Formats: sequence, C-alpha cells, structure tokens
Amino acid sequence: MSEFIREGDIYSLDLTIDEAHILINLVEQLLELLGEGDFHHHYDENDPFAQLMSQLKAAPEEIAPPEDPVLMRLLPNAYADPEAAADFRRFTEPTLRGNKQRTLRAVRESLSEMVDLEQAGIVDDIDAELWLMAINDLRLALSVRLDINEESHDVFESLPDSDPQKSIYAVYFWLGWLQESLLELLTQ
Amino acid sequence: MFDKPWITIVWDDPVNLMSYVTFVFIKLFGFSKEKAHELMMQVHTNGRAVVSSGTREEMERDVQRLHDHGLWATLARDDQG
Repeated sequence: MSEFIREGDIYSLDLTIDEAHILINLVEQLLELLGEGDFHHHYDENDPFAQLMSQLKAAPEEIAPPEDPVLMRLLPNAYADPEAAADFRRFTEPTLRGNKQRTLRAVRESLSEMVDLEQAGIVDDIDAELWLMAINDLRLALSVRLDINEESHDVFESLPDSDPQKSIYAVYFWLGWLQESLLELLTQ
Repeated sequence: MFDKPWITIVWDDPVNLMSYVTFVFIKLFGFSKEKAHELMMQVHTNGRAVVSSGTREEMERDVQRLHDHGLWATLARDDQG
C-alpha cells in the first residue's frame, strides 16, 4: 500500500507498480482533456525572441465555457452573471488551464521512470504542494464522472463487485485517502 | 461615490476534503488555523462563506488562485456593504 514519506522538508512517495500505473493513466487522461484546443509549438518558449513575439498574441475574442462537465468543474465561472463570467474567462482561462497542465505534467514526470522500468519503489523528492493540487484535480474530475454527492459512499459500497463503477469509486476513495495522508504530513 | 467593495465567495462541494479547504485558506490568505477552520466550517454548513473583500481586481486574483487549487469560488459586489 502506498504512502507519502516526509523527512524534514523532503517528501517522497512509496508506490506499488499498479498504483503508479493507475496514477499516471489518470494524469494523462486529464492532461488530454485539458489539452483540448491546444497545439504543438514549433518554437522554444524560452527563446527571448519568441517571448517578444508572443506579446503579439491578443486575448481571444471569446472563449466559450467548456462543454465537458469535468472541464467546467476545473475551469469554473468566476461570476454568476454570464457576461462578466465570459469576460473573465476570455482573459484568465488559458492561464488557469496552463497552470493545471503544468502541475499534472510535473506529476507525470516524477512517475514516468517508475512506470517505464515497471518497478515499484519510491518517488524521491516530490513537490508536495504540486502533488496535493494534482491529486485534488484528479478527485474533482472523477467526482464529476461518478456524480459524487453526500450519499455516494453507501451507494457505491452496495454495488456488486462486478460493477465497473465500483472500481472507479475505489480509485476515487483511494485518492482521497492519499490526499488526506499528504495533508497530515504537510501540516505536522 | 466610491465603488462598493467586492467579495470572494467559496461554495460548498461534496468532494474537496475539509482538511484541504482549511489548508488552502491558510496558504492563500495567511489565516490562522482557527480562522481557516471556522471559514471552512461555514462553507460546509451554510453552503458558502466570504473569504476576502477588496477591489474587483483583488477579488479576481483571489478567485483565480482558488480555482488554481480546485476550490469553487466566485466574486460579487458586496451588497451588504
């Protein structure tokens, strides 16, 4: 069974190979979902000239609220008023989306070696706060797909083991446990 | 006249862990543990809590930081003001 480990300010994560696979699959699925409308850059973003040129990119005319309910949960409206919400989204959604992608990519990066080698072990020196945010986004995404509410635990527990929804719920539940254990270490 | 101040509201959801919400309040707003816990309980029991107030620009920034952390937040003009 997985666990986070803290030694001073250094955090690491002890994972089985199955757990590493589950995590990296979820992370990659969410990255794919967030990458909607994204495109491959043919320039180096760190190049000073490219940075200068990027200032030419104006804010888009309008960004429609996402149709996928998972994306709507991760990139929610900031105002109750639709017009104000649309205006805010136009200027901020690309940044919010990019922040979430960066967080998930960092987690994927730290898991990829273990998954490539097919070896259980310890993911060393992780960025605990990034992991906390990534696990939270994964839980939010799964909760939308599972339609989680206050009564969900009893409902899913009563499903037969053969029901695939029950396995997904088990992953959701595990992520909650994992997040809680990391929070305990962070607030020690 | 001066603009009325704006407020940032955090809404309850059945997913975010109570300990996580408290942690995020401390991290983003520098609240004491007690204050963060109290606001988290307000979100949990009343369905919402006002976590900050100020100019519209400041509240937009707070909402964005809360969205970064996966909390469900909106800003509004403070009509109680």
